[in-house]
Amino acid sequence: MVTLGYVIRRFIYMLITLFVAITLNFLLPRMVPGNPALLILITKYAGNFNPNQLKLIESELNLRGTLWQQYIGYWNDLLHGNLGPSYYFYPETVNQIIASRLPWTLFLLGTAMLISVIIGVIIGSYSGWKRGLSDNLLQAVSIGLTSLPYFWLALIFQLVFAVMITINGRHLFPVAQAYSITVTPGLNLPFIESVLWHSTLPIITLVITTFPGFALLMRNTVVTVLDEDYLLLAKAKGLSIKTIRKRYVNKNAMLPVTTSIALAFASIVGGAFLVEEVFSYPGIGYALYTAVTVSDYPLIEGIFLIITLTVILANFAVDLIYAYLDPRVVLK
Amino acid sequence: MSDREAEVLKILKSSSQISRFKEFLKKMLHHRKALAGLIILFSLVLIAVVGYFAAPYNPFSTNAPPFQPPTRQHLLGTDYLGEDVLSWFLIGTGTSLFVGFSIAIISAFIGVLVGVTAGYFGGQVDNVLMRIVDVLLVIPGFPLLVILSAFLPPTLETTIIVLSILSWPFLSRVIRSQTLSLKQRQYVLASKLSGLSGFQIIFRDIIPNLIPIIFINVIFLAVAGVVAQAGLAFFGLGDLRSVNWGTMLYWFEAEDGIVYNAWWWLIPPGLGIVALGIGANFLGNAVYELTQPSRGGQ
Repeated sequence: MVTLGYVIRRFIYMLITLFVAITLNFLLPRMVPGNPALLILITKYAGNFNPNQLKLIESELNLRGTLWQQYIGYWNDLLHGNLGPSYYFYPETVNQIIASRLPWTLFLLGTAMLISVIIGVIIGSYSGWKRGLSDNLLQAVSIGLTSLPYFWLALIFQLVFAVMITINGRHLFPVAQAYSITVTPGLNLPFIESVLWHSTLPIITLVITTFPGFALLMRNTVVTVLDEDYLLLAKAKGLSIKTIRKRYVNKNAMLPVTTSIALAFASIVGGAFLVEEVFSYPGIGYALYTAVTVSDYPLIEGIFLIITLTVILANFAVDLIYAYLDPRVVLK
Repeated sequence: MSDREAEVLKILKSSSQISRFKEFLKKMLHHRKALAGLIILFSLVLIAVVGYFAAPYNPFSTNAPPFQPPTRQHLLGTDYLGEDVLSWFLIGTGTSLFVGFSIAIISAFIGVLVGVTAGYFGGQVDNVLMRIVDVLLVIPGFPLLVILSAFLPPTLETTIIVLSILSWPFLSRVIRSQTLSLKQRQYVLASKLSGLSGFQIIFRDIIPNLIPIIFINVIFLAVAGVVAQAGLAFFGLGDLRSVNWGTMLYWFEAEDGIVYNAWWWLIPPGLGIVALGIGANFLGNAVYELTQPSRGGQ
């Protein structure tokens, strides 16, 4: 059960969080000592510029007037969906860069998350149900796997499967990029094949470090559900083990997994960024890496904004979905 | 209750706390997982100490040929400049641990303070503090770290401060819920009746009972700090001339260690991070099992 009051309150929290993130995004670059507009001119034109150019760049970066005026201008741009120009990819705007890169990141994240949840639920359910050896094994393995840093694992995979191992002189997987230059992007088989082939290592890296969390959570909730009274009733009624597992245990144990997806999403984003860096995968994380190395501040800000927005919205959605999935939950 | 009785009560309580803590330490040393965790963490500290006093080479000396696989002279080979990888690893272990534990201690301090205050005083204080925590928990950590580090001066100190400021929210939630239950105990009531102030109760009755939880969270915060710092360095942020696990991986990636098949350069820093994580998890599981023996499982 969800009441309207609950939805409104979650919505207000979400707006406050967004407001904080956006304000932070505005203030940070302006706290840096020095004039970023001047910095661009000096680095790009080695000091050969006139004051008019400086004024132009300042106004383009929304750096003119008092802090308050800049803040109003910032919101104005934002509400018009304008994230400004990119220094490095100029004349491409931040909007264009994000629009072309975001789908790749969402593809990696979405696929990795889906596979992780499925594997996690299956393994967790099994070891929670059986306990004993499989249970201890799960704990030991998940401790090891979750301790693996995403980017190190990505580098190891890259080294082993894309560089060291060759079969008939060919590498098993590509070292970098999202598809090979020989195919034309579009809905054709060679392109799709190439995309899948290129995304295998990045996705496996993310799955290996993400699924143990889901497996452990699933295992723990299965163990809790097994103690519930309604399970005793189900057994007393003479329901088959299969029905009990499917309908009573797994369904109920899935609930906490659902909510944890949102939180896992917030942490897997960081992992995806680093993995993209390793595989030069043309997603938003690789763009952020490029932006950081060339000090492309508008691009850094824009990417932070989009990612924060996505994660905050995902959290809001999960809050609502959870209440919908579990009728026992009354949220006022 | 007279002053003298209150005094006796206090002594009784504190002595029981000390003996409980001793008992807890004893149990830790007899617990297999706890022992394994302690041994792993201790070995890493040992590596750091060896690195500090007895690294075979100056990590910046470039007298050897670059990209050399392990040899007698260079047990872990050399990097793209001919620097000794073993020396980088030994010294880097120290830096990484220092960064991790600095972050852990600062953020645990903030987290415990916020959590205890919110849990003990409740009401509006609790409400405001937990809303702040909610906001910080929802904003994705790594992108926020990246944007903060990109705009602040690239030093190790910046990285420590930024990570400390962002790492405490989760701990504060744990501490808050523990405080809520501790607050209901008899001995807190006794202290209240004997006229101790809120802060006195927090420091005498509440926090000492949270020590196992704080201890294990400091370890986990340190692991998270090491991993986050390594991730940031790998992303090209922070002080890239600093010798640590993160910068080792950054230079490996930036200078095409992959192309040269330089596994000897890639494996040590990652194994360091993995060992730290496994050690912390062993210790964490052990503390959890020892403090909540009634829970099912093993």
